[in-house]
Amino acid sequence: MAAELVLRDINLRFGGIKVLQDVSMAVESGRIFGLVGPNGAGKTSLFNCISGHYRASSGSITIDGVETSGKSASQMTKFGLARTFQHPALQLHETVLENVLLGAHSTLAGGPVSWALRMPWTTRSEKAARTEAAELLERLGLGDVADTPAGELSPGLHKTIELVRALLSKPRLLLLDEPAAGLSHTEVEAFIASIRGVRDDFDLTIVIVEHHMGLISAVTDRVMVLDHGATLMEGTAREAQSDPRVIEAYLGQASTAEVSGEPAGA
Amino acid sequence: MKNLLARPIVRLLLAVVIAVVIIVAPISSSSFINYQLSLIAVFAVALLGLNIVMGYTGQVSLGQSAFLGLGAYIAAYGVRQEWPVVVIFLLCCIIPAAVGLLVALAAARLRGLALAMVTIALPIIGVPLAKRFPDFTGGSVGSTVSWLEAPEGSGLADDQFRYYLVVAIAVVLFILGRNLVRGRIGRAFAIVKSNEAVALSMGISPYRYKVLAFTIASLFGGASGFLYIAVVQYTSPETLSFATSINLVAAMVIGGSASILGTVLGAIYFVMLPVVAGQIDSSRTALISGAALLLVLFLLPGGLVSLPRRIAQLVRGGRGGSPRSRAAADRPPTGDTAPRTTAAPEAEKQPR
Repeated sequence: MAAELVLRDINLRFGGIKVLQDVSMAVESGRIFGLVGPNGAGKTSLFNCISGHYRASSGSITIDGVETSGKSASQMTKFGLARTFQHPALQLHETVLENVLLGAHSTLAGGPVSWALRMPWTTRSEKAARTEAAELLERLGLGDVADTPAGELSPGLHKTIELVRALLSKPRLLLLDEPAAGLSHTEVEAFIASIRGVRDDFDLTIVIVEHHMGLISAVTDRVMVLDHGATLMEGTAREAQSDPRVIEAYLGQASTAEVSGEPAGA
Repeated sequence: MKNLLARPIVRLLLAVVIAVVIIVAPISSSSFINYQLSLIAVFAVALLGLNIVMGYTGQVSLGQSAFLGLGAYIAAYGVRQEWPVVVIFLLCCIIPAAVGLLVALAAARLRGLALAMVTIALPIIGVPLAKRFPDFTGGSVGSTVSWLEAPEGSGLADDQFRYYLVVAIAVVLFILGRNLVRGRIGRAFAIVKSNEAVALSMGISPYRYKVLAFTIASLFGGASGFLYIAVVQYTSPETLSFATSINLVAAMVIGGSASILGTVLGAIYFVMLPVVAGQIDSSRTALISGAALLLVLFLLPGGLVSLPRRIAQLVRGGRGGSPRSRAAADRPPTGDTAPRTTAAPEAEKQPR
């Protein structure tokens, strides 16, 4: 069952810098929600709050009504959350299959002792995970390269590998951080064509941070525009694109300087 | 060559050949050679522990000799108290592992230089501590034991018996270590090393896995201390000195970081280099060792284990191109490197 995500009055401060100010949003179960805004608007910071990588200074985050703010990022898989990063961080010398299997970490059975002794349940669950991973790779068009080292593939394929890795943890809520960054035109088209199918097949709620407006209008049900850490507007992608405040935030006035520092990386 | 090695039958044959060599090796060798071969097994275990925490998990540890020394002292003490061998072995694993766990619970919160400092402290505190408790350690003189003589009727000399015992334990520990660094736990170690944010999002607590890696390293260090006493029959504060730790780190890098085979090669290097250097010129052992170290690092940055790959590179693509493209592949992918790799794999992917 796809998850419902609700944020209420999220504030995030780093020292004196207000990165997020009273951000609220509600993503209904099974929707694709877009998060847009100029560089430094706080989109990735908001992602990091939801995924537990940052702790919000105040406010509440609930997944299916369960409060998750304050939980450690490593606990979030238990709440059905998975995410991708701007830079996929794959093990480039390992095969694609080995890379995506990392996503099965939280579903595999056994601790260090069982794995050192190769107890039957560890090999059994590893085998099941490998089968599932191979099927997922096939499903997303990576079946042919499952045994190729990830380093030999294009950045565009790295994004897909990362998506499969995230899906393997069986999420109900998926956060995609700039899935189109570094993708070629054809790869973006392929992503647009597949993402709704992925949502339906895996019964997901998806939140996307993306600069590619074509992608945002093609796949999202609703969007929220962030600027300087605050909500500028919420509506459909079409409404956002014609909203004068959004246009001003993006194109801006010559004197507008970026003040809210969005920490680099994820 | 690579395709040949990938075949199960070739691998099986290779394993059988290696097993036969290991079993036959001590039968006709001198006791000096058997002693050196046993030492390789001893330090291979210590190196495996170090490789798990440092090579696979990416956490600097300059304190491995402290666990080696602790294990050796526990074994020596156990022998003097005439405890059963199995009990001694278990204590040599459990006590260092417990000490390692306690240290790691605090140290794993640190990274980089701060972590290196904490681990350096272990041998630095360990040496005077060992001298301070002569009842347990024998003080600066050290403690000598006479232990593990070949059972009568086995037909084995003492050195052969000890060799088989030490190698058998080392092989079992290597199988356990290899199991750990592959599969669920190994993938977790690898992602903790390369990207903690991604590790977190996979439900992996980097802190827990660092503590785990340190504990395993300490356990292997302690076990190698037991093996050390079995072979050398003597230990002193010198065993756990900081210099030993540094030499172990050097041997790990030279053999091959994050590699099981590299660990064995590192142990061969660790034990054999002083011997070989001493034969070349006994007054300049350190100088020759240093030169060899620099030579290997310069020619084989991936360690001795990367030798076949390096040769293949040189044969295939000349000297210039290959190392650079390998360096590029080791870097994390970023948007701006897109044109580098896009074309060829796309073409591969389309047909079918």
